[in-house]
Amino acid sequence: MRIVICAKEVPDPDAVNNYALEGRLVIGDDGKTLTQASIPRLMNAYDEQAIEAALRLRDAGVDCTITVVAAGAESGDVLKHAAAMGADEIVAISLDAAGSDYHVAGAVLAAYVATSGGADLVLCGRQASDDDQGVVPAVIAERLGMPLVSIARAVELVDGPGVCVTRVTPDGDEVVECPCPAVVTISNELGTPRYPTMAKRMQARKKVPATVAVASLGLAPADLEPRVALTRQFVPTVQGSCEMIEGASAAEQAERLVARLRAESVL
Amino acid sequence: MSAPAVVACTWGQPAAEAETLLTLGRTVAAALGGELRWLVLGALPEDAAATAGRFGAGGIDHVDDPRLAGSGSDARVAALASYLAGSPPRLVLFNQTFQARDTVPRLAARLGVGVVMNSVAIAHEGGTLRVTASAFGGDTRTVYDLGGAAPHLVAVGPNAVQPAPVGSPASAVVRQVGADLGAVAERVRVVTPPKREGPRLEDAQVIVAGGRGLGEPGNFKLVEELAAALGGVAGASRPIVDDGWTDPSRQVGLTGKITRPGLYVAAGISGASQHMVGCSAAKTIVAINRDPDAAIFKHARFGIVGDCVAILPELTRAVKAR
Repeated sequence: MRIVICAKEVPDPDAVNNYALEGRLVIGDDGKTLTQASIPRLMNAYDEQAIEAALRLRDAGVDCTITVVAAGAESGDVLKHAAAMGADEIVAISLDAAGSDYHVAGAVLAAYVATSGGADLVLCGRQASDDDQGVVPAVIAERLGMPLVSIARAVELVDGPGVCVTRVTPDGDEVVECPCPAVVTISNELGTPRYPTMAKRMQARKKVPATVAVASLGLAPADLEPRVALTRQFVPTVQGSCEMIEGASAAEQAERLVARLRAESVL
Repeated sequence: MSAPAVVACTWGQPAAEAETLLTLGRTVAAALGGELRWLVLGALPEDAAATAGRFGAGGIDHVDDPRLAGSGSDARVAALASYLAGSPPRLVLFNQTFQARDTVPRLAARLGVGVVMNSVAIAHEGGTLRVTASAFGGDTRTVYDLGGAAPHLVAVGPNAVQPAPVGSPASAVVRQVGADLGAVAERVRVVTPPKREGPRLEDAQVIVAGGRGLGEPGNFKLVEELAAALGGVAGASRPIVDDGWTDPSRQVGLTGKITRPGLYVAAGISGASQHMVGCSAAKTIVAINRDPDAAIFKHARFGIVGDCVAILPELTRAVKAR
């Protein structure tokens, strides 16, 4: 079977978080892009977990080829990381983020799957850690007419052929099944993805991704027209108005806090 | 009948969960010079008509079909696509629920229209709908202009606006709307439904949550003891869940539970944006942290600078004292 994983390059969310907490996060001159050179760019962590989910299927004895495709401006390093993890095939589709949105990216990735021999299983991260939108997997599923199963912590293959997926819901784990081909999105509950050995990383450095031109995918002009345009990005300010509870001891602070909460009818 | 300007859509939620959505929808509908309608899929919640009236919906459109009761999104997407065919509204609003994460993007793809998830604000400026959303786990806000054909779809986060009733409520009429779902067979089949264990953080009125400041795994019981004394539920930040100090179902934040309690006590939690996404809708936040510069104090109504390991047992004692 063929498993296709869609991967995206994002600014390191931990670095962004550190800069934001320190109040040093800078938005670029265009008013919407994070341009700090000191923020590394890496693979969206949920996408890395989607690759891990595919590798676990292979480890479990599933005979499969694993293709990782990235649609973006510069995806070379991300794809080499995918190859080092164990992807059989890496594919780069050059797409300018400025003229693109989830609709365009989803249409392009779906068209890639359809024109490259199809897929029995498409795995995606549950969302990208930059925009947190989580829309692209649904667009791929709709355009390919595949069912969508989201926010998985475990994926198994069953006879049919189909997939058995454990989903992380607010009410606890839900186990569902659906026929293949299907789109499944992977959540962080899947666990830490494997880190490739030095030898595998060295090997992968020489690997060159296959490139696919958007023009070769047979998409209509309307498919390449964004529906939403990012116009601005900013760091929200929090209006702090915290009343500090002082006291000579922990007991005194605790008593004063409880008294204040009762006075304000919180308790 | 002309199309409403804005439709607020809910399913499987009590009427109170629609209050934020209707308040926001009413504001945008007024800016667009049109009507707000409330679309309910599946069972009509108790008090729906009264809630619609109080929060300014012109009426309720009700699509009732047993196929809409399940967890699969095929029937919901089909019902919405059918409802929105013809002359669609400009904007359709949804609560950012677990099920909406599938339904809304799939609907957008099916209709080929614009969608924004995780929205915190919507404005109508110069003829354009401009949606602010949370990004980078809450570290930044992104602003999107919605283009292309109507309807535009927006999923709204839990604390986008404070629910506000209208001055003079009118009674809202429920209109039954048909949708032909005869051809829909859900492709995703539930094998084992989720088993809810204990009270849900999402429903809790009081949450006491602990983080790294607890120092060691054994101290999580201090959090549980205060939660029990307050009649609340214990929560946790992601770092201590990742380290196995407590169960993943306790996690509050971006990849955990999105809560909206009356009281949220954050003990030894620094207040990273990823955590605040899960608790910033709390009415009152109390922060206990050793670091006086911790970000959590910016979000808190009350703060104690100190060691939560010493303060939590004292709080439990003080709460029980009466």
